[in-house]
Amino acid sequence: MIAEFLTWVRFLVFRKKHSELDDELRFHLEQSIAAKVAAGVSPSDARRQSMIEFGGIETTREQCDRERPGWWAGIISQDARYAVRSILAHRWFSAAIVATLALGIGLNTMVFTLVNAVLLKPYPVPNGDRLVSIAGRNLSSDDRSLPFSYPDFQDYKAQASSFEFFEAVTAQPGVLSEPGNPPDQYQLVRATSRIFSMVQAKAFLGRTFLPADAQPGSAPVVVIGYNVWQERYASLPGVIGRQVHVNGQPANIIGVMPKGFRFPDNVDLWMPLLPILDLAKRDSRTLWGYGILKSGVTLQRAGAELDGIAGRIASQFPADKGLGMSVLTFQQRVNGGPIRIVFLLMLAAVGFVLLIACADVANMMLSRSLNRQREMSIRTALGASRWRIVRQLLIESVFLSTLGGILGLGLAASGIYWFDLATSTIRPTWILFTMNYTVFGYFAALCILSGLLFGILPALRSSKINVVDVLKEGTHNITGHRGAWLSSALVVFQFALTLVLLTGAGIFVRSLLDRLAVNPFVPADQITTARLHLTEDRYKDNEARIHFYDQLLPRLRSIAGVSHAAIASGAPGMGSADEQIELEHVPISNPAERPWISFVAQSPGYFDTIHLPLQQGRDFNQTDGASNHEAAVLTRAAAARFWPGENPIGRRFRLFDDKNKPGPWITVIGISANMVQELQGRDHKPLLFVPYRQEGWDNMALVVESAADPLQAMRKTVQSLDNELPLNEPLRLKDAIAEQLWFLRVFGEVFLAFALVAMLMASVGIYAVIAHATGSRTREIGVRVALGASRRNILFLVMRRGLWQIGCGLALGLIAAFPLTHLMASLPNGSLSSDPSVIFVVAFTLATVGVFACWLPARRATGLDPIRAIRYE
Amino acid sequence: MPTSTDLLQGTLDLLILQTLALEPMHGWGITQRIQQVSKDVFQIGQGSLYPALYRLEYKGWIKAEWGNSENNRRAKFYSLTAAGRKQLRSEVETWDRLSSAVGLVLGRAVEASQ
Repeated sequence: MIAEFLTWVRFLVFRKKHSELDDELRFHLEQSIAAKVAAGVSPSDARRQSMIEFGGIETTREQCDRERPGWWAGIISQDARYAVRSILAHRWFSAAIVATLALGIGLNTMVFTLVNAVLLKPYPVPNGDRLVSIAGRNLSSDDRSLPFSYPDFQDYKAQASSFEFFEAVTAQPGVLSEPGNPPDQYQLVRATSRIFSMVQAKAFLGRTFLPADAQPGSAPVVVIGYNVWQERYASLPGVIGRQVHVNGQPANIIGVMPKGFRFPDNVDLWMPLLPILDLAKRDSRTLWGYGILKSGVTLQRAGAELDGIAGRIASQFPADKGLGMSVLTFQQRVNGGPIRIVFLLMLAAVGFVLLIACADVANMMLSRSLNRQREMSIRTALGASRWRIVRQLLIESVFLSTLGGILGLGLAASGIYWFDLATSTIRPTWILFTMNYTVFGYFAALCILSGLLFGILPALRSSKINVVDVLKEGTHNITGHRGAWLSSALVVFQFALTLVLLTGAGIFVRSLLDRLAVNPFVPADQITTARLHLTEDRYKDNEARIHFYDQLLPRLRSIAGVSHAAIASGAPGMGSADEQIELEHVPISNPAERPWISFVAQSPGYFDTIHLPLQQGRDFNQTDGASNHEAAVLTRAAAARFWPGENPIGRRFRLFDDKNKPGPWITVIGISANMVQELQGRDHKPLLFVPYRQEGWDNMALVVESAADPLQAMRKTVQSLDNELPLNEPLRLKDAIAEQLWFLRVFGEVFLAFALVAMLMASVGIYAVIAHATGSRTREIGVRVALGASRRNILFLVMRRGLWQIGCGLALGLIAAFPLTHLMASLPNGSLSSDPSVIFVVAFTLATVGVFACWLPARRATGLDPIRAIRYE
Repeated sequence: MPTSTDLLQGTLDLLILQTLALEPMHGWGITQRIQQVSKDVFQIGQGSLYPALYRLEYKGWIKAEWGNSENNRRAKFYSLTAAGRKQLRSEVETWDRLSSAVGLVLGRAVEASQ
C-alpha cells in the first residue's frame, strides 16, 4: 500500500518525458515491420501494412497521458491561464462584470453574516454551543417563555440529569447609590452562585460569587460590570470592597467583570439569589434558567426530561398544574418570531439581488459570446471538445465571480459595520456581527455557484455552434432566435424580482413615514422625557408618591427655559396601559366581551405640555381624581366609539383591573383631539386620559417642554428632593420616538438599499440588451431610415422589445408582490402597512426607470446617419 | 477475431501482469507473447497496450528500464514489482472465482437445455 502510494506521489510530481513514449512506439513499429519482413513480405509493403495496423499515435499519447495521476491538473491550469488572459484582454467588460458581482456577492455575504449572528452562531462563551435558555411553558397555549419559581428550580436541578450546569436568575432594575455620588439605575440580576463558573467567566478585578455568598444571612455582595466601573467609578481599582446601596439596601462590591461581559443579557450588576421572602413560594414565578447541556444531550431530550419532572411536580403542587418546561438555544428564545422572519426576508431579498446580478452578467456574457463565436469555432476546429470549451468558459466565469466576491467582501465588511452601529443600542450584547468560518464557507460557495450560474447558459450556447458557418460568414447573422429569447427572459425575470424587492422596501418606508407623521401637534424636538421609579420600599403608597410629584412639578416649571412640565404614565407615542371598560347603564356580564381601552395617567398641565388640543369640556383641575371626583378626558375617536352621536360630557364608565375588579365610576369631563399613543402594533384601542391621583403608578415619565436642554437642571431638581432617585431613560421625545421606530428605520434603509441596487442592475441589464440589439441592427436601421422611416418609427422599432420585457416583468412581479404585502402585514409586531397603493407607486417608478433605460440606447439609433449605418461593418 | 476492446474490463491488465511474471519484456514482446500463448485469439494493438502499461506503471505494479533487445536495439523493458506480484495473485484469484462461477451458470444452462 505504502509503496503504491509513494509511486502515485512520485508520478504526481514528476512527469515522464514525451520522447520516451515516442521512442517506445517507434521501436514497436520497427519490430512489427521486421516481423512482417521475416514472414516474407516486401519491406515497403511491410511498412505500409504496419503503419495501417498501427493506427493513430496521437490518441495513444493522449491516453497514456491520462493514465497519469493528477493529469487533469495540467489541463485545468491551462484553462485557467487562458481564462486570465481572456479576462485581461477585455478589461472594461470584465470590470463591469466584477463590479456587478461585487454588489451581489457583497450584499449576500453581509446579510448572511447578520443572519448567522442572529439565528445560528452560539452565545460567545466557552461551550456556547451547549448553552441553553430554560423557561417554563404553558402546556395549553403556545407561550413557551414563562418564568418559574425558586422551589421548582430546586426540584428541576436536583432531578434533571441532562445538564452539566443549571443556574437561574431573576432580573430587575438596580439603583446603585452611595453618599456623595448621584444614584444611577442599572440592569440587575440576582443569580444562583455558579452563574459565572457556568460560562467560565473570571472577574477582571476582585472575585465572583462563592457558594457562601448565597447562604441566607451572609454579608450582601454585588459584582459590577466593566461599564459601571468605568462610568460610575472612573476605573478606580479601589472600588473593590466599597460599601454601596443597591435599591436602598447595603452591599459590598466584590468584583468587576471583564469588558463586554453582560451575561445573560445586557446585565450591569450581579447579586447572589437568596431564597427569602416571596422567592421561596412556589407560585412566585420570577426566575429564568440557563444551563449547559451535557455533551451529546439534545435540546429535545433535555426538554422532555424537564417536562417529565414538571409533571411530577404538578401532581404534588396544584399551583404548577398545566406548566411544562422549554429548553431552547439563545437564538430560538430571543430571536424567534418577527425578528427571524425579517432576517430571513432580508436573506431572500439579497438572494434576489444576486439573481438579478447573475442575470445581468449572463446577459453580458451572452452578448459577448456572439463576438467570441469565431474564437470558439477555431478552437473547435483544432479539436477541442465541447466539454473542454464549456469547462474553459466556466473557469473564466468562476474567476470573474471570485474577483467580484473578493471586492464584495470589502463591501460586506463596511455594511456589517454600519448595521452594527445602527443596532448597537437595541440588540442584545451577545449578538456579535462578525464573520466566522460558516460565513467564509457561504461566501466561497456563493462565488463558485454564482460563477457557474451566470456562466452555464452562455457557455453552453457559445459552445454549440456550427463551425463551418461561423468561419465562413462574418460574426453577425448567427444571433439566432434562441439567444434573443434567452436574454429577454433574463430581463423579464430581473424586472419581476426588482418589483418584489421595491415593494418590500416601499412597505417599510411607507410604514415609517406613516409613524413619523402621527401627532403633528406634539413639538417632539422641544420635549424632554425621563422616567422616575418611586419604589415601594421608599414610597410606600400612592399618597406618598403624589406628595412627591406635587412638590416636584412646581420646581420643574421654575427651571429657566422650561415652558411646561407635567407627569404622565407615558409620553406621546411611548405606549400605554390597557384595561377593560364598562359604560354606565350598559352592563356586560361576560368579562371576555368587555371592550378594551388604553389610558394615560397624567398630572394637570399635560395637555398644554404636549399641545394636545381640547375640543370640548375642560382640562383636569387639582381636585379631579380625588375620591368621588374620578374624571377622564376621552379622545374624539374614543368618544365616538362609546357614545356615537351623543354628547359624552358627564357620562360615566368604570374600568376593570387585571384581577377583574371594577374601579369607581369615572365621569367624562372633556374631549381631546385624536392622538396615537402606541407606535407599534396595529389594532389601537380607544385612548383616554385619567388624573394621576386616580391611577397612581410607581413608574412615571417626566414630560418637560423647553427650548434649551433641561436635563441637568431636571436631574438636580429631582435629586434635591430625593438624592437616591436616578433619572432613567432621559431622552428628547424625538429621539425616543426614533428609537421606538428603529425596526422600521433600520430595515427600511436596508431593504431600500437592496431594492435600489436591484433597480440599478435591472436598468443596466435592459440598457445593455437594447444597446446590443440596436448595435447588431445598425445596417437594418440605416436601410429603414434611407427608405423614409421616421424617427418615431425607429424609436418604436428599437424600444418595442424592451417595453414588452418591462411589461411582462412588471406583470409577473405584481403577481408575486401581493402575497408579499400580506406576509409582511401579518408579521406579529404588526407595524407594517398593508396598503396596496405602495405596489402601484413602486410599479410606476420601476416602469419609468425601465422605459428611460430603454430610451437611452434607442435615442442613439434614431440619430444614425443612414449612409454610415449601411456601410457599417 | 476479438481485439483487446472486447476483453473484459481489467483482463488486459491481468494478461500483462501474468506475461511479465515470467521475465522482463518490452511492449512488442508482450503483444507477441500474448498472441502466441492465446493461439492468436488476443491480438493487442499499441493503442490499448501502451495506455495499459502506463497505467500499471503509474500504479506501481510494474517498472520500466531501458535495455537492449535481442537484436541489439534500445528498448524499454517492463518487469513486475513486489506490489505487482501481490496484485497478480489477487487478480488471478478473482479471475478463478469469476470464471468458475460463470462456468457453473453456463453448465446448468447446458444441462437444462438437454
